[in-house]
Parts: sequence; C-alpha cells; structure tokens
Amino acid sequence: MSRDTAEFSRRQMLRGLAGLGLTASAGSSLLLPGYLHAEQTPEEIPQPRYGGRIRVATMSSSTADTMDPAAGSLSTDYVRHYMVYNGLTQYDEALRGQLSLAESMETDDQKTWHVTLRQGIQFHDGKPLQPEDVVYSLMRHHDPATGSRVKPIADQFESVTVTGPRKVRINLTSPNADLPEILADSHFLIVQDGTSDFRNAAGTGPYKIAEFRPGVRTIGKRNENYWKPGKPYLDEIELVGIPDKTARVNALLSGDVQLVNAIDPRSTRRVEQAKGFSVMETPSSLYTSLVIRQDVPPTNSRDLTLAIKYLLDRPTIKRALFRGYATIANDHPVHPSHPFYAADLPQREHDPDRASYHLRKGGLEGLRLPAYASPAATGSVDMATLLQLSAIPAGLNLGVNRVPSDGYWSNHWGKHPLSFGNINPRPTLDMLFSLFFKSDADWNSSRWNNPKFDQLLAAARSEGDQARRKQMYVDMQELVSNECGIGIPVFMSLIDGYDSRLRGLSPIPIGGMMGYSFAEHVWMAA
Amino acid sequence: MNKLYTRLGIAGSVGLSLAGLWLLISLFGPVLAPHGPGEIVDYEVFLPMSAEHPLGTDYLGRSVISRIMDGARFTVGIAFAAALLAALMGTGLGLFSAVSGKAVDESISRLMDALLSIPNKIFALVMIAAFGSSVPLLLLITGITYTPGVYRIARALAVNINQMDYIQVARARGEGRAYLALSEVLPNMIHPMLTDFGLRFVYVVLLLSSLSFLGLGVQPPNADLGSLVRENMSGLWEGAPAIMAPAAAIASLTIGVNLFIDSLRGRD
Amino acid sequence: MNTIVTLLLRRLGISLVTLLLVSAVVFLITNLLPGDPAQEMLGQAATPEVVEALREKLGLNQPAHIRYLNWLGSLLSGSPGVSLANNMPVAELVADRLPRSLMLAGTTTVVAVPFALFVGIVAAMYHGRRADSIISTAVMFVVAVPEFLVATVAVLIFAVELGWLSAVSYAPQDPTLGQFLATYALPVLTLSLVLVGQMARMTRAALIEQLQQPYIEMAVLKGASPARVVLRHALPNAVGPIANAVALSLSYLMGGVVIIEVIFNYPGIASLMVDSVTNRDFPLLQACAMLFCTGYLILVLMADTAAILSNPKLRK
Repeated sequence: MSRDTAEFSRRQMLRGLAGLGLTASAGSSLLLPGYLHAEQTPEEIPQPRYGGRIRVATMSSSTADTMDPAAGSLSTDYVRHYMVYNGLTQYDEALRGQLSLAESMETDDQKTWHVTLRQGIQFHDGKPLQPEDVVYSLMRHHDPATGSRVKPIADQFESVTVTGPRKVRINLTSPNADLPEILADSHFLIVQDGTSDFRNAAGTGPYKIAEFRPGVRTIGKRNENYWKPGKPYLDEIELVGIPDKTARVNALLSGDVQLVNAIDPRSTRRVEQAKGFSVMETPSSLYTSLVIRQDVPPTNSRDLTLAIKYLLDRPTIKRALFRGYATIANDHPVHPSHPFYAADLPQREHDPDRASYHLRKGGLEGLRLPAYASPAATGSVDMATLLQLSAIPAGLNLGVNRVPSDGYWSNHWGKHPLSFGNINPRPTLDMLFSLFFKSDADWNSSRWNNPKFDQLLAAARSEGDQARRKQMYVDMQELVSNECGIGIPVFMSLIDGYDSRLRGLSPIPIGGMMGYSFAEHVWMAA
Repeated sequence: MNKLYTRLGIAGSVGLSLAGLWLLISLFGPVLAPHGPGEIVDYEVFLPMSAEHPLGTDYLGRSVISRIMDGARFTVGIAFAAALLAALMGTGLGLFSAVSGKAVDESISRLMDALLSIPNKIFALVMIAAFGSSVPLLLLITGITYTPGVYRIARALAVNINQMDYIQVARARGEGRAYLALSEVLPNMIHPMLTDFGLRFVYVVLLLSSLSFLGLGVQPPNADLGSLVRENMSGLWEGAPAIMAPAAAIASLTIGVNLFIDSLRGRD
Repeated sequence: MNTIVTLLLRRLGISLVTLLLVSAVVFLITNLLPGDPAQEMLGQAATPEVVEALREKLGLNQPAHIRYLNWLGSLLSGSPGVSLANNMPVAELVADRLPRSLMLAGTTTVVAVPFALFVGIVAAMYHGRRADSIISTAVMFVVAVPEFLVATVAVLIFAVELGWLSAVSYAPQDPTLGQFLATYALPVLTLSLVLVGQMARMTRAALIEQLQQPYIEMAVLKGASPARVVLRHALPNAVGPIANAVALSLSYLMGGVVIIEVIFNYPGIASLMVDSVTNRDFPLLQACAMLFCTGYLILVLMADTAAILSNPKLRK
C-alpha cells in the first residue's frame, strides 16, 4: 500500500473508520488501528491472555518525571502518558495517524478540520469526554508558562472551538495535510479541561495511575472501563528507569523486569542467547547529526562543510558503533524506507581525496577545529573520535571535546562551530524540516539559511497532490544534503529486549517499545 | 639491589616492582604502544587475546593494550598528584590545628566538616558542570575532596601525640609551636600518614573511575584506566580482556603502591 | 561527664553555623552552574520565549541573594520549599527517599563495622606474621577494584546466572525476611566490600601505632598475652583514630552511594541529589546538602565523643 493511495482516500478513510472497518476495502489492513487489525486476523494472532503484571524499565527517569503530556521529555514520560491518556489519533506501523478518540476528522482544504469525538468515552474519574477537554488540551500549548515542548508545532493551531456536543473545529494558520499525524504525538494527548496539577490527573487511557513517584516508579492499574473493546490485557504495569545500560540488560535477564528499551547493540547477542528472552529491532529515523554552523567562521565555508561530510565514514560508523543496527544516511533526515525518500540522490561516500580537495580549495589545510560531543547525543563521542581519525590524512586537525550530558542541549548543541545533535524520530517530514531545517526555526542548529528550501517547505505542507508533494520533498532532501550544515551519517535502530512470554509487540518507528505505546497492546502468555 | 630486597621483604619488592612498572608505563607507554589509542585496528569487537592483539580489542575494535599504555599516565599522574596535594594540605592543616589555639582549631575543623559533608561525587558533578571537565580540574577536585579526610586523621593523631608526656616535657622546656609541630609531633605521625597516603592514592584512582562511570572523568578520546573498564562494560558477559585487563591494571597499580608503602612502614 | 554535655551543647551551636556555611557554599556553587531549571526542563526544546515564561513562573528572575534569603526564610519557618523540577514539596520528595537511604546505610553499618573492626584487630594481633599479610593483601585486593565493576559482577553472578537475588533493589512496603534479603543483599555486599577495606586498614594501622608505644612494651614484659595487650591496652588508646575512620566511612553511606543507587536502581537520597544538580533544582539540592551535612555532623560528634571518653587525658 503506497502512501499515495492512502492520501487519496484519506477523507473517506478517516470518516469510514467510525463505521468500524466498513470501508476497510478502500484501504489495506495497514490503515486500521491495531485493535481492529487484531480482530480481523484471529488465526494469525493468538488469543490474548488476560491478567498478570509486568515491570518495565526505560533508560531515563528523574525527579523531573511528569504526568503532564505537554512537558514530557524522556522515554518514561512518553510511556506513562500513553498508559494514561489517549490522543485524537494514534500512530500505526507506518506512522500514519489513525483515529483514536476522534470518530472522524474531515477537511476540504487541510486548513479547517472538523473533528467528531467518539461517544461514551469516560475519564478515569467517571467524567465523560467533552469537546472542551480537546480545546483545553490543544490550546494550553500556546501559553509559554505551560512549558510545552512542542510549542513551535502547536503555534499553527490558530483556534480550536467547540461546534457541537461532540464536535470540535480546528483552524490552522496555514493548510497542513499532516494534522492527524501531529495529533498522535504524545504531547498532544487529551487531558481534562482545566487540569493544572497533573499528579493525580485522570485520562481516558488503558491504565489508571495507582502510584506516581518521580524518579522512583509509576504503577498503572487496568482501566476496567476502557473504551477499546477487550483492552487492555494486563492487570498492572510498573514503570521504572534504569539509566545504566548494563544494569538494564541484567535486570531483564534476571527476571526482575520484562521489557527494557535502548539495548546496546553489543548486548543483543547476549539477550538472544539467553533462554526465554528476545530482542525487537525498530529501524527508525533517529539520528545523531554533526552540526556545522553556517553563520560563523571557519565552518561557514562551503568547502569545509562539504569536506567534513566527505570525511564521514558511514559503513564504519554503522558497523563499529552500532554493530549493524543502523541504516546508512545521506546527510538529510529522511529514512530510506519513507515513501518520499529521494532514491535517485547519489549516496555520499567516505572520500578523503575529495575532502582534501575541498580543504585545499578553501585554503583550510592544517585547520584546527574542536568538535563538541557528549553522551547526551547518542554515539556522538565515538563518532567524533572516528571523524577525528579520518580527518588527519585529509589535512584537517579535529579535536574531540567531550562534555557531560548535563546542560549539553542548552550550552553546546549548535553553540560551537562544530557540535553534535541528536534528533528523535518525528512522524512527518514537515515536522522534521520545519523544526530543524527551516531558516527561522529555533532548532535550526546549523543556522542554515535557504529561502528556496523555505518556499518548498511551505508549498509542500499545503499540497494535496501526492506526486507533486513527493517531488517537493525530494528537492528539499537534495538541498539539505548538498547545502545544509548538517551531516547525518546513519539512522539508528531502536532495540528493545523483552521476556519472550510478553506478546503483542510490534515496531512503531516513532520510538522504542511500540513508539512508547505498548501498554494497551501487550499481554503475558502463560 | 640485594640490600634493597632485604630491606623491603618479598611483599615490598613486589610492590616496588609493580609501582615502578606502572611509573614506566605512564612515562613511556604512549611512545611504546603498538597502535594509537583511538585507532580502529579490527572490525571485530571484544576479541580475545592473540598475537596480533595482545590484549584483544575493545568495544569499537581498538587495541586494548595500546589504550591501557596510553591511559595509565592519566590514572597514575592524577592520582599521585591529587593524593600528594591532599596529604600536604591535610597534614599541614591538621598539624597547625593541633598545636594552635582553640579558635583556630575550631574554625579549621568546621570548614573541613563543611567540605567533607558534601558527598565527593556530587561535589565533582557540580564542579565539572560548572567548569567543564579537564585534567587540572579533576586533579584539584580529587585533591580537595580528600584533604578533609587527611586533615581529620592527621589532627586526631596530632592531638593524641600532643598529649604525650614527652611533648608536655618539651613544652615545659619552652619550645616554640613550630618546633613542637615539626620536630616532635610530625615525626611520630609519619607512619600512619604514609599508610594513609597509600590508601588515598587508591581512593583517588577509584574515585576517578567512579567519575568516569558517571561520565565526568577523563574525557575521550583520552581515557584513564577506570574509563577503560567503564566503556567496555558490555564485554563483561563474554569475559573480554577489554574489561579484565584495565581492571587488573587498576588492581595491580593500587596493590603495588600499597605493598610498597606498607613495607616501608614496617621497617626503617 | 560534664565535659560531654558542654561539648554537645557547644557542638549544637557550631553545627548550626556549619549548616549555614554549607547552604551558602552550595548556593554559591549552584549559581556558578551554567543553565537554570527552566532550560534544563526544556532541554533540546528550550526556545527563548518559553524559557523566559518558565523562569518567570519559577521565580528565577529575582536576584540571587533574594532567592537565597527567601529560601532561608521558608526553611526557618519549617518548610524546605517546593521542587522546581516537578512542583512537589521538597519535604515529600525527601521523606520518600530518606527512609530507604537510612535503611541501606543502617544495614550496611551493621554488617560492615563489626566485620571491619574484627578484621583490623585480628590483623594487628598477628602483626608482622603470615595471617596479617594474608589479611592485609586480601583487604587491598577488595579495595582495589572499582565498585561499579564489583556491583555489576555481583549482579551477573547472583541475580542473572544463579537467580538467587534481585538485580534491582526495590523492596515492597512490608517486606518478608526473604524479600528483604533478596533486595538488600547485593547493594549491602558491594558497599561493605568498599568500606571494610578502608575501616579495617585504619583500625590495624592505629592499633599497630599503639603497639609500638613504650607502655605496651611494659605490658608485654609483665607477661600479658598478645590478645590482652591489643584488646586491653592498645585498643582503648586507638579509639580516637578508629572512630574517626569509621565516621568518615559511614558518612560515605549517605552521599557516596550514588553509583550503587544507579546500578541497583535504588531510590535513595544520593540519586535525588544528582537529579537536583542535573535539573538545577535549587531547593531540592539545598535540602539534600543540609541532610548530608547533618548526618555527617552527627557521625563526627559521635566519633569525637568516643575519642574523648576513651582518652583520659582529653576527658579533663
């Protein structure tokens, strides 16, 4: 099923799902939310078993843990939020936004969207879901005091208004065909109107919070009144953070936890060889990038930028750093599996000769330049070390300046001529490009300024025709790859480890653990 | 050589040889190492020992022996300098405190208490967050961290010795404070303080490796011995030499220094 | 006895001064830190506008000394404030973790101190003989391995391979003895290994120092047995330095255990303090620093009291 057909029938599809799969013939099973999928192919998926409790460990947890979806910043937060809340839409395996709390989403111009909520949905405290809850949940991102991490995205919600007992109208500042995908993001999950203290907040999600202690643990108990028929399966989920990767694997293998994320690629063999444990690889568009500032010397030289890109030894990075759990990238943020991937753009190879040609041309031989790397940006320290080695023969003297994770994003990312960034998967290309590459974006960390790119980006957002849209995105990829100050060597796979009795897991490439939303999908086999 | 051996005994000689070996490695290691510390020598990671790679390869396929030979100088250098710094400041202040009046003694003791009550790793975390990690800063942090510890022990010893009859006699003779401190009290403290120095050295080595566990130690591409253990933790399960060798290096270094110092205090 | 009471009272006063000193030092250092809670909370997502709004909300736009005085004022009125990172009362966060830290510290003390004293005394009794060198070398080996390696190896053996104990230490509310052992065995074991070496060595050194004093020769000449010489004559005089070494080692159990807390996922005060540094959560950081300082001062007071009680000359 190609993206094009899906888009073609989007309007029908989004409406049709309200009728529980009546229009399934118009799409493929890929278009259906997970639970419908399961119902349709009972012979492939064994009958889920009810009951049981699991403990889940993610890589991060601190006293800054939050129950507020808008403020979520780490993997435990996302998992917790998907346990407790639902969005208007939710991601499927291909990161398309499928209807969730919304029964239908209609639009004629990609600018004004009419949302109808499902009937009979209750919050954990018994209050029914109202359109006012949606208005509050989406508009609170505008208030800077909310501390929303997605404010730049939410700024395109010009207004959200109640238009009926179950109806909401979302007006965007400019057309955006990707709204269903945007709303599936964990930051836009739906909370109760007026909630300001989130510690005991009620959601509509599959688990109710029984205990929430920041930096210690979260316990969710099965929501008996969950609106998705038959779900969830487990009685209880306990969520903890184990930051040390070795300790995390040990906790899994000792049976203390049943699901962990972010396994070191060097430990996968160990987990697979242990009896009763498995590994799930999720190829994703997560990448660690080299940020080459385009507005300060010496890195504002086009020759230096290109030279550095030619010095990236992608196959070695893939192999030595990630033991093959990675996909080679081409200095732009689009994963090869994406339907809009620029397949005809030649792959940039590791080419020290061309690098030294560019260095000579720019008169930059023998230049000394420190690169800032940190454990905060996964793999960046080792990547910097590899780059340093391959730069020597080309006549570039790179220093590796490793700084602690603490304060890295505020003080180092994009604050030096050469630094490393780390960008999590985003559901849409528009989001990726708007947040990290648009000239006036706050996180355009290389300070790249390209009016042509900005124009293409705006045009593609409102373009309804998929062929034309794809061509625009292909052009943007070419611009980013050849002109922008961002080097992207590889996309990293996300690796989860789990107790083999845990069933129902499948990759959703927005993050590990089924894009953090495993809670309502999994059960424990006997 | 024979005379030295008799003086030190078996344990002392072993200790001296180990300490000497590490001193040599830390001085000449970088020159003698078969490969550069950052060079990837094999695509296979966590290789076992072989003729080609005497201590196998690390988690990126780098030569472990080269990395140890390069990293030893950070561990040995920082630990020695920091332990020395702590010993000099701590003993000096402790002695001064013990022979001075109550007011001075109290002020210094309270200041040291305040310092000591801040957990050392968190002190390091804050300092490194504030000033960025560098070798001189690590030296200073570890040195300051252990000064109050040395101080307390030195002061306790000095106060005790100060009560001894021969000191009272000396005081009655009308000897000055400085003379009392340096000629009467200090010589009687040397042995425990030397033992303490040996232990402090070990602690600095271990604190350094703890800091590298927290990502605060010597920063890559350089690596002290503790960082080498830390970065190869995923090879533990396979018993890779990449993790065993640096751990053994730390152990032999610290034990060597201690054996040597122990044997000195037993004799002379 | 009177001296002890005066000492306690005087110490109480001085302790308050020390605490004030520490709080000022901690505040000064936190102000040196780059970044603030607003920036740290937003991480990669910190845009100037949102950071500014959050700063305003958290009261970070006030001058530093005003914030310090505010904090001090609220502390004096009995409230250590509200965490900047999650808006929860600091007292609540600390109350959640403190009992766990004390439990771990207490259990380790009960295991490690008697063992260390025993080892140190035995080594001193056999000073210069084979038993002494065996003990001393063994102690050295134990001290010479980084604790994170010891902890991880222990987990690998006892939790992963043998399956006897738990790899993450999270005890249920009212643990049975079995649960208690499974939870605490590994962290206590690891911590004890770290501390025993330290304490045993200082005990041995202090005793041996005493054994070289003239009055010991007298005792030996009088025909006292080696055990009696060590226990009755040398030990009382060595209490001062030994108590000091023990106090120092134990103070480590509060704040120094951060690595153990990380590896065993043990929710104690040390990791709370690390979080507070990372989040630039000033009220929480202060509260933790005050706690460590208080705990430390109590330990030191106990050590000094023991030294005075055991040394007749100091008692006067």
